This record gives sequence, C-alpha cells and structure tokens, in this order.
Amino acid sequence: MSSLRFDQVCFSYGNAPCVVQFSCNLAKGELVGLIGANGSGKSTLLRLGAGLLTPTVGQVELDGKPVRSWRGEERASRLGYLPQSIEAPLPFLVGELVEMGRAAARKDHLLSCREVLAAVGLEGHEQTPLSQISGGERRRAFIAMILAQGGKTLLLDEPLAGLDLRYQYELLTLLRSLCQTHNLTILLSLHDLILARNLDRLLVIRQGQLLADGLPTEILTQQLVQQTFDLDPRFQVAGIGG
Amino acid sequence: MKRHPLFIMLGCLVAVLLLSLSLGQQVINPFNLDPLQFKIVLELRLPRIVVALLMGGSLGVAGAILQGVFRNPLADPYVLGTSSGAALAAAFGLLATQGTAVWLVPGLALVGALVTSAVVVSLGRDAWGVRAERLLLAGVGIGFFLSAILMLVMSLAQADGVKRALLWMAGDLAGADWSVVPVASLLMLFGFVLALARRRGLNALALGDEVAFGLGLEPGRERTLLVLAASLLTAASVALGGIVGFVGLMVPHAVRALVGADARRVLPLSAIGGGMLLCLADTVGRSVLPPVEIPAGVVTALIGAPWFLIMLRRATGGGMR
Repeated sequence: MSSLRFDQVCFSYGNAPCVVQFSCNLAKGELVGLIGANGSGKSTLLRLGAGLLTPTVGQVELDGKPVRSWRGEERASRLGYLPQSIEAPLPFLVGELVEMGRAAARKDHLLSCREVLAAVGLEGHEQTPLSQISGGERRRAFIAMILAQGGKTLLLDEPLAGLDLRYQYELLTLLRSLCQTHNLTILLSLHDLILARNLDRLLVIRQGQLLADGLPTEILTQQLVQQTFDLDPRFQVAGIGG
Repeated sequence: MKRHPLFIMLGCLVAVLLLSLSLGQQVINPFNLDPLQFKIVLELRLPRIVVALLMGGSLGVAGAILQGVFRNPLADPYVLGTSSGAALAAAFGLLATQGTAVWLVPGLALVGALVTSAVVVSLGRDAWGVRAERLLLAGVGIGFFLSAILMLVMSLAQADGVKRALLWMAGDLAGADWSVVPVASLLMLFGFVLALARRRGLNALALGDEVAFGLGLEPGRERTLLVLAASLLTAASVALGGIVGFVGLMVPHAVRALVGADARRVLPLSAIGGGMLLCLADTVGRSVLPPVEIPAGVVTALIGAPWFLIMLRRATGGGMR
C-alpha cells in the first residue's frame, strides 16, 4: 500500500517544462531522498506532492485519493510539508509554532508537544522567541511544527540545510526512527551525497525526469553523480564507489 | 498559558479611564459630581472616551492583522490606502459645509475608506487570489494618487475649511459625540469577530503561504477575509474621529513583546492596548495646554515615536540575531 503516488506527472511553469513524466510509489515506512542539481525540479516535485501545485498532466495521490481533493484539515492531518524558505517576520515563540502544528490536525497526535520539541533538541524552549535562536534551530522549530501535525507522510524540502553536522545526523536518525516506529513515509530533498547513503531509497532527477530510483548503495555511482550534476568526467566525488 | 499580561493591561485601562474622566479643562472627581460636572462628563468626556477606545482598539487590531497578512512589521492600518480615500472624501464634506450635518463627514469618510479598500483589494487580486506584494503596492500607489488629489483640493479651498480638514486629518477627537458610535461600533465588532475567527489563518499567513497551505489552509481565502476585517475596522475608526497614526503600527509590536505573536492573544490585547493608548493621548492633548487642544493623533506620535524607538534599541541590544 503506497501512501504517496506520482502517476505520470508532468508540470510546467508557463512554457518551461519542469517535471516530465514522473512516476513513483512511496511505500509506508520508507525514508526516501530526492537528489538533483539546482533547478532540476526537486522543490516543484515536493510542491506537487503537497498539493500546492496541480499537475498539468497526470495525478498525485495521497492515501489513495488525489491530494488536491482532500479537504484542508484532512490533508494537514495526513501530510506535513516543510518548504525550503522558512521565515517568521513576527516574533512567534517556539511553543506557539508547535501549537499551530497541533491545531492544524484533528486526529490523535502521534507525539506530545514536549516529545516533539525533545525530538528536535529544543526541549524547554517553548517560551523562546524565534528571533532569538539561530537559523538551524529555527529550522528545527519548524520541523517540530510539521511533526506536531501528526501526518503519516512528510515532504521536507532541504530540511538539513543550515543544520550543523550533529543535528543533520540527529534529525536523520529521528526521521528514521519515526519511519520505523510510526510507519511514517518521508520524502526529503538533500544535497549531501554522503548523508544520502543512510536513506532507504533515493530518487535521482535531472531536468525534471527520473534518472535513477533504488537503494543508495546500488545506484550511487561516479557515473550517475557526474550525469546528475553535469560534472566533468575527470572529477571524482569522494566517498562514492566506482 | 500566559494570563497575567491581560490582567495588567485591564488594570492599566481602568486607571486610564479614571484619569480621562477626571482631567480636561477642569479637574473633576468622577466619584463626586455636581449636576454641571455630571453634564460635562456625560456629554463631553464620556463620548470622547468611548470614541478613543473604539478607534484606538480598532486601529490596534487592524495593525496586528495587516502586519501578519503582509508579513511586514512596518504595515499599519493605512497601508491599504484607506486613510487617503477617507481623507479625500471627508475633505469634500469639511470644505463644502460648515460642519452643520453631523452625519456628512463620518459618512463620507466611511464610504471613502471602504471604496478605496475595495479598489485596492481588486487591484491586488490575480488568478491565485489576493497576493500580499500586489496588495501592498496597490495600496501605496492608490494612496499616493488620492493624497495628490487631496492636496490639489486643499490648495484650491478656503482657509477656514482647510484648518478644519487639517485638524480632522490629525486625529482631533474634540468633536466626538454619540451620533456615529452605534454604526461604527457595529462595523468594528464585525471586523473584530471576523479576525478572531480567522486567527489560525492569521498566524499561518505570517509564516508564509506555503507553510499556511501545509497547515491545511487556503492562503488566498484567509488573506481576503482578514483584509476585509482590517478594512472594516480601519474605515469605521476613520469615520469616528479621523486619521490617527502610529497606534496601529506600534501597539501590536508592544503586545507581541509581552505575549509572543499568537493572534489569539495579540488581537484582544491589541484592542485593549490601542484603546488605552489613544484615550491617554486624547486626555493629555486636552489637558496640557487648556484651552488649546492638541489633536490626539499628534500626541500619539509625539509620545509614541520616541518610546517606540527606545523599545527598538532595547530589542536590538538584547541580542537579536
């Protein structure tokens, strides 16, 4: 049973095709990485998955129904979406952010407010304004909000950006444990190929098309990386097999 | 969660009300009135207090709404061009008559404000709904245009009419009476209830449209309803007593510094804070230089601006990153 399914999805901004014939099934409990160059369509794919954009051709299904056909609250209880740019121009408190996530969904919450904050390493920061914490901590606060929604499918657009090494690993560890214990499906875009090797599955896209789909250890090769990022063939990426 | 700021503010409000009843051209003990003083309080001071509370409260709430909707801490109730539209319409009334028809100026101001908001909102829409940037630019553009017409009208008008128009635009509450209060307070109540009902949308919009959508909301729809609420509040306040700057900009910031940015707390406390501030400003304006009255709008800016700047310095000094 898949939780999120892209079926022959095409999307273009005006006349510029951005996603071309993209199909894939995300199974329950999978931690999936989305890899691709800047402008390859990663964010657009995640927006399509979240229902923010409607495919020009094809269909995106969440839990067996077109994602855009779910009512707002239903969708928010099933799917959490973290955009790439997160800004809070007003001085919200960390606790208020988590409350917003909880208020967005009505079903039984997977985690309590305290658990969510502990999961992202912000325990005891309920009363701290977002303006007084660092960029990486702010990103973690937003992730706490998404987790508080309690959806079983998470789409995270570069959630590791701006996090230090420790929190990159800790967040990935947390996401993995959520996949295992609560059967969550998580799709996240990322640029770190070394971290990407820790995921269950990778989707590699180039110019909006699916280039490779499979186990990181099997598909991540020098050749694929060169092709994905249009690298000079003489350039070897450290830590990636032949 | 945090309850005490509400009680502190209500306490301050009561103090301001008593002060405002007592002070003026003549000091009155509100607990011991003779018949003449009773008449002064009932017919002169009480309507001014009520008008100041309603106006200030509405401006505070409208500012809180628009700062969230535009994700811009510098937004104030007049960014939608409402003040310019109201001022222009009211100026015609003030210049054309000698202030005989009680209803004329507030009525014109209300219509001017609402029509301007409607035009700005319709310019700020596209196929996706109301866009924040478009709306802001439309408001600024329309505002400039209407102000230019206003200046043209004023430069062609007679001197005594110009003075009345200027006083009105500076937020002078001296002419406040009960006549417009029922209609204005009804509009304000509607705007306030609407905003409070969309508090989740207001919170979410402040985090950006994509986050709001992820939280299950329709950003375009939420923004339209919230702008409608802010327009009603602003238009009604302009109709009551003219244009009072600064309350709508400053009060929401002060409130957020106390209780955080959650609209559930910010909206009611901005109403109390705004009403309190304007009431205090009006009391000061009519007490310091009797028999001359300084318009409340001038006092809010004169007291408010330095205080605001001090707060700003403190906030930055406190380690904002």
